[in-house]
Amino acid sequence: MSRLSRRDFVVRSAAGAAALGAGNLLGSGALAAEEGAAMAIARWGGAQPGADGIDAAAVKLTEQAVAGIGGMKRFVGNGDVVWVKPNIAWDRTPELAANTNPDVVATVVRLCLEAGAKTVKVGDHTCNVATATYQSSGIAEAARRAGAEVVHVDPLRFRETAVKGERFDALKLYPEMLECDLLVNVPIVKHHGLATATLCMKNLMGLMDDRRRYHQALPDMLTDLTRFVKPRISILDGVRILTRGGPRGGNPEDVAVKMTVAAGVDVVALDAFGAELMGKKLDEVPSIGKAQAAELGTADYRSLSPREMNVS
Amino acid sequence: MSRRRRIVTGARVRRLVQLVFLLVFFGWVLLARPVSPAEPHPWFKLGFLLDPLILIFTWVAAHAVPLVLLFSLVVIGVTLVMGRVFCGWVCPLGTIHDVAGRGFDRLQRNPKRRDRWSRWQLTKYFVLVGFLAMAVFGVHWICVFDPLVLFYRTTTTVLLPGAQWAVEESSTAAFHSDPGTVRDWLMAVTEPVYDFTGDHVFVVKQQAFLGAGLIALVFVVLLVLNAYRRRFWCRYLCPLGALLGVFAWRPLLRRAIDKETCNQCDLCAMRCHGAAAAESGDRWKPSECLGCLNCTESCNRDSSRFHLAWPWRKEPTTESVDLSLRAALGAAVGGLIALPLMRLSPQSRGKRFHPLLIRPPGAREEREFLKRCTSCGLCMKVCPTGGLQPAVSEAGLEGLWTPRLVPRLGYCEYDCTLCSQVCPTEAIRPLGVEEKHQTKIGLAAFDTTRCIPYAYGRECMVCEEHCPVPDKAIYFIEAEVVDRDGMTKTVKQPHVDPDLCIGCGVCENKCPYADRPAIRVSSANETRNPDNQPILPGGDIY
Repeated sequence: MSRLSRRDFVVRSAAGAAALGAGNLLGSGALAAEEGAAMAIARWGGAQPGADGIDAAAVKLTEQAVAGIGGMKRFVGNGDVVWVKPNIAWDRTPELAANTNPDVVATVVRLCLEAGAKTVKVGDHTCNVATATYQSSGIAEAARRAGAEVVHVDPLRFRETAVKGERFDALKLYPEMLECDLLVNVPIVKHHGLATATLCMKNLMGLMDDRRRYHQALPDMLTDLTRFVKPRISILDGVRILTRGGPRGGNPEDVAVKMTVAAGVDVVALDAFGAELMGKKLDEVPSIGKAQAAELGTADYRSLSPREMNVS
Repeated sequence: MSRRRRIVTGARVRRLVQLVFLLVFFGWVLLARPVSPAEPHPWFKLGFLLDPLILIFTWVAAHAVPLVLLFSLVVIGVTLVMGRVFCGWVCPLGTIHDVAGRGFDRLQRNPKRRDRWSRWQLTKYFVLVGFLAMAVFGVHWICVFDPLVLFYRTTTTVLLPGAQWAVEESSTAAFHSDPGTVRDWLMAVTEPVYDFTGDHVFVVKQQAFLGAGLIALVFVVLLVLNAYRRRFWCRYLCPLGALLGVFAWRPLLRRAIDKETCNQCDLCAMRCHGAAAAESGDRWKPSECLGCLNCTESCNRDSSRFHLAWPWRKEPTTESVDLSLRAALGAAVGGLIALPLMRLSPQSRGKRFHPLLIRPPGAREEREFLKRCTSCGLCMKVCPTGGLQPAVSEAGLEGLWTPRLVPRLGYCEYDCTLCSQVCPTEAIRPLGVEEKHQTKIGLAAFDTTRCIPYAYGRECMVCEEHCPVPDKAIYFIEAEVVDRDGMTKTVKQPHVDPDLCIGCGVCENKCPYADRPAIRVSSANETRNPDNQPILPGGDIY
């Protein structure tokens, strides 16, 4: 305990600040926050759009999915600082489905601003060189056009943070993301060689530094990380999904167009839905069972009676 | 003592111009950064295009030069008219030596100027001629000591990383300090500095270079030599200065003393940058004159003046440096005798290859590469991952400070071709992205005594995750392992496909081991050296 005293202090003050922030939110919009479904799934019901139409459809799907859980006002307070956290990991173009769809991200940004956010930051801890990755993913430009502040993660500014998990005491996390009023988790549904699928929980790894060694214990680490971060809203991009060769991909043949966006408050349920979208059984994605056992959510997403919508 | 005080003197104008050029050259180094890997700015290599030494030696050694280097003929043209004004007014290394010299003026009680012409100043011409003879046999090494190259390399690997480290580490320390202590007001100072330098000066993440200490040592030694003679480097050693000195043999712009008014006070000779004055200041060696105008400024009687004269007009006070044909031939023979010294390391004789000498994609076959590479460090500066590092011993003496990829420090980004786009001498050929994807620079191999799924039966697969080849040069096979209690379980064990692996090194870079990675890339299979391709393509696994 004495060894960690300084970190504890830092984290406690951060946690105190966060609690104050949450208190404010409860004071102002708490009642509204309880309304709305826990989960919504928007599927494209119209004709299969062409390559150009996918982008416009992604916008509608995202709008509908968010509306389905009660709209962004449920999560964003007036004057809030919001961090939208897509998956911007790889130096790949949107067609290769290695990063979150830029139109989904841009729509989330716009919805946050419309709901009263003061600042919407968009950024991720990339795997490839950040400047190139932000550019080729199309996210930097789309987010900027939607009014977001595109932020590069500074490798010097990660901070050893006491997460007090089951297996891990401390992880190196990015303070700027944690200290925002709201973190909007916007992952893409992707195949992953080791985790078999990368979804909402895996996307939170973008808050971390020194990630490599945690691949030995991904389910444990993801559970500890999710418990600490407690994402209040996740929007799962299933417009284009990567079915093989993930997480980095690169082969257009490995991409499937699913035209689906799901939103919700329960990351475990969303992950279970994402696994299903990929045609995987739940026990093939070990982090889902692990997180359910840790009571972070339910893998039986149907029990939440999600609002399912056909968008066209 | 009725000296006229003039506000605007030629030497003052020259100092101002020097300062501007120094800032421009520093700005030029800062400009070359991997902001947008797709489009390297053509100005990244601008400074080297001013350099006739690189032009001439590359042409002699490799019998070919990129046409843009012909731009440096402008500098030769200027030298034919005005002498070595490039050295005196433009060269950033020269300006740094001036500044160092002024520093020593204050430190040394009796400044040892010795500003008379010394025959030792011929050294630079002998070195130039000797290396020109070696260049015929493909030795390009003198360009490693070209002043612009020296300046660029030192700034890139020593000065800039040092400054960035100091700024960023100190403000990061403040950022990470305890709240409630001095942190708040400390950060009120450090954060704006950090943000400004991060946005406008350094822009990219910190770089660090192996063996930068040696580069720093060379730089410091050259600076300290100013304590013995001002502008020691420029007078005695600089190969570019020697080259320009040859072209400044009889320039149009000449200096002469008005014998009527001169009282031989020697002030002009004492302040001469190039030690161009022989006798008591009334003679003048244009090949040594840097055009600094200190002589006209210091003269109380206005006796030292520059004028124009046709090249065929000889003037009695204008002297050549007396580089006799015999001495030049001797220097050339000396160069040939020294030639084997350049080829002493085993790799320089072909057939054997250093496993750690992983050249960037597009690098020519080793012999051809060394005929062109100046070790300027531009490729290292633009490498977005910081993986390109100066070779210290891996490429032999001839390949000192030439670029090699150290995957542990930074990998070769799959879609990036920056280093090949910026190379001023095309030692690294310009590659398109498609061609780059097909270019192998090495081959990865697992160390199964360390690799986590092999050695400890646990999951990992970070290397497979990062492998950029669309069909994955790293694949895994599920294998049964037995733990110490005799229980079996399956883990995914990674393998390398030698046909697909391009040696980019991202696997080695991302391997969880922070000391010696469990997958390492060696130069084997590199496209550029057919003799270093042990694995035949397209074979079946046995």
